[in-house]
Amino acid sequence: MEWIEFVASRAGELQQKCGEHLMLTVVSTLLAVLLGVPAGILARRLHWLRATVLFVSNVVQTVPSLAMLALLLPLLGIGVVPAMTALTLYALLPIVRNTLVGLQTIPPTVLEAADGLGFTRRQRLLWVELPLILPVLIAGVRTAAVIGVGIATLSAFIGAGGLGDFINRGLALNNTRLVLLGAVPAALLAILIDQLFSLVEQALTPGRKPATLRRRVVVYVSTLAILSVGWSVLPHLAASPAAPRALIRIGTKNFTEQLIIGEVIAQWLEQTTDLRVERRFNLGGTIICHEALVRGDIDLYVEYTGTGLTAILKLPPVSDPQQALTRVRDAYRQQFDLHWLQPLGFNNTYALAVRESDAQRNGWERISDLVASAPRLRAGFTPEFRERPDGYPGLVRAYGLEFGAVRDMDPSLMYRAVAQGAVDVISAFATDGRILAYRLRVLHDDRRYFPPYQAVPVVRGEVLRRHPELRDALEQLANRIDDAAMQRLNYEVDERGRLPHEVAREWLQQFR
Amino acid sequence: MSLCAPEVGIVLDDLWKSFDGGASYAVQAVSLTIHRGETLVLLGSSGCGKTTTLKMINRLVEPTRGEVWIDGEPARTIDKVALRRRIGYVFQGVGLFPHMTVLENAAIVLRLLGYSRAEREERAARMLALVGLAPEVYGARYPSELSGGQQQRVGVARALASDPEYLLMDEPFGALDAITRESLQDELLRLKQHLRKTIVFVTHDLFEAFRLGDRIAVMHQGRIEQVGAPAELLRQPATPFVRELLARPLRMMERLLNIQQVGAVDGMD
Repeated sequence: MEWIEFVASRAGELQQKCGEHLMLTVVSTLLAVLLGVPAGILARRLHWLRATVLFVSNVVQTVPSLAMLALLLPLLGIGVVPAMTALTLYALLPIVRNTLVGLQTIPPTVLEAADGLGFTRRQRLLWVELPLILPVLIAGVRTAAVIGVGIATLSAFIGAGGLGDFINRGLALNNTRLVLLGAVPAALLAILIDQLFSLVEQALTPGRKPATLRRRVVVYVSTLAILSVGWSVLPHLAASPAAPRALIRIGTKNFTEQLIIGEVIAQWLEQTTDLRVERRFNLGGTIICHEALVRGDIDLYVEYTGTGLTAILKLPPVSDPQQALTRVRDAYRQQFDLHWLQPLGFNNTYALAVRESDAQRNGWERISDLVASAPRLRAGFTPEFRERPDGYPGLVRAYGLEFGAVRDMDPSLMYRAVAQGAVDVISAFATDGRILAYRLRVLHDDRRYFPPYQAVPVVRGEVLRRHPELRDALEQLANRIDDAAMQRLNYEVDERGRLPHEVAREWLQQFR
Repeated sequence: MSLCAPEVGIVLDDLWKSFDGGASYAVQAVSLTIHRGETLVLLGSSGCGKTTTLKMINRLVEPTRGEVWIDGEPARTIDKVALRRRIGYVFQGVGLFPHMTVLENAAIVLRLLGYSRAEREERAARMLALVGLAPEVYGARYPSELSGGQQQRVGVARALASDPEYLLMDEPFGALDAITRESLQDELLRLKQHLRKTIVFVTHDLFEAFRLGDRIAVMHQGRIEQVGAPAELLRQPATPFVRELLARPLRMMERLLNIQQVGAVDGMD
């Protein structure tokens, strides 16, 4: 029952993602047919080309899909175009190879007959060779399409949408239901396409067949293809030409907090400015967001000061929040013409969390308060926190804090473990919704040990100069969302299964 | 050049063909006139150049040297595709199109020539009937559903459907069993009488050559040894090769007769 409710609550989004997924697969497969069949035909005639074509398509096939997307990133940026390009490249091999093999296996007597009877090359190709290789060709297209459905799940990493969005989000949130919401329809789609093509293949195999069946299948399939393309492409086409208002494209990384904040900003801009907003959410990570911003595929996203310092600028962490912000702000402006505006208020850094009940009983408010009782306490830390120099090892030095026992824990288990009393202290993220869900308290970092990860909108300089109202609108959100507020918003989405855009809308209503 | 006058039909004028840039010649100095309405057989063992010679007529093979004249026109100057549509072509491989029905196969040249569907189906059906295949029985079948002999009948119908003046036949019955081959030979003789086509027929089978040919050109190692009517070859073999070629079956016959006589004596005991 719970399952049905869950799927029903996501039905609209599911349909949209299915449509995007189908469009990615169908269009890239069609492109691969348009490129691959002529390539296969040419390759049979030209020996040097044959070796080249097979070599290139074989090599492409061996490039892991994620690596392919990464390779295309600097060239094509993010979005549908690079995803489509990668998918098309993968689809090429089976199509080129089957075209070539099909042509090579046509009996030479049939070709001699065609030549001897006075077929032109074109007629021979269209009337004899292509009809004869059609079943083999369709088998190639079938392979390509089924592979495509699988690989298309990865295009979510670069903001091309599709069912991968669910998988991506589910993996980021450790939410199995979300992962399945993407994976199961993708698998079903693959099976469906496979079955459909198997039918087509049978219908097109030469020999005695009721002619109506063959025609029916062809009509059925082409209609389906056209409809699915139209369904997903038309809205985009219809939307883009009529664009009187300037467009701001907002990106986010692929976890809940980012999606909520992205929605808050998007809706805020829609409500308070004339700017039109495009949401390019759920990009595959910091590097992808940054690249997209530098290239101008997106105009802004929310970054954390600590991440900007260490992951992008490769600088050591800075413990003073203001100093950290100044440093990233200066470096980003000089290197990329990207501008860090005012922080939104929350600081998504590492933190220590304990049970609220314990905190009240013992009067724990600051990390320093733990020092005395630490040898009696059991800690549950993620392996990463335990190893990182700015994690537990540094904490020991900064506070002289030595816990009685330390256990490695998966982040998804950690919160439950502390709530149920299996451990007493955990390494949390300061804005995690589970802090609220499990009635935990985050202890104040009184020695400013953890580097600041303040969330700040980062915007392209060019866009700010063109649209000064953008800066004004965003500055109004400055320092409006503190850690507790962010925890609450994350809690609504992660624990209560609500949608980021709803949660964002409610928050804005109350904010105004 | 009177030999090349239109009424003559096909003239092969000093044809040479090398496939290895002149190191060796598959066809050497072949000159031959094929008169309208006659059946000329190119007879020889495999590798003697007879198929290459045939294929130079419809330019499936281009001569290295020499000229082919068709109706007084050099074949070289006629568009290949147009030329082939004017000349029917039947070969041992048959090469029916497996994705088309028998009727579609028989009508394919008419389709190339742009006939309407109704007209080409009507004519193709007539051709099938002519080669002994009832169109209402076989027309809708696919080639894979026919026997070898039936397939070759469709091959002949296909070549005849556009009513070409010339017919090139490259060992068309070579792959068939003796009985089927004989019945198809009978069929071809009947068609010849009926249609008055000019036929160039390639075979390695002496008996087939003597049965079908108005004239026979014996080829050996790329050259023509002798051209003449069957009786002429028998009476006056021009070269030792021709004499030996004709003598061999006679010797075989003698041996068969001997066996029969010995067998008969044994049978009396």
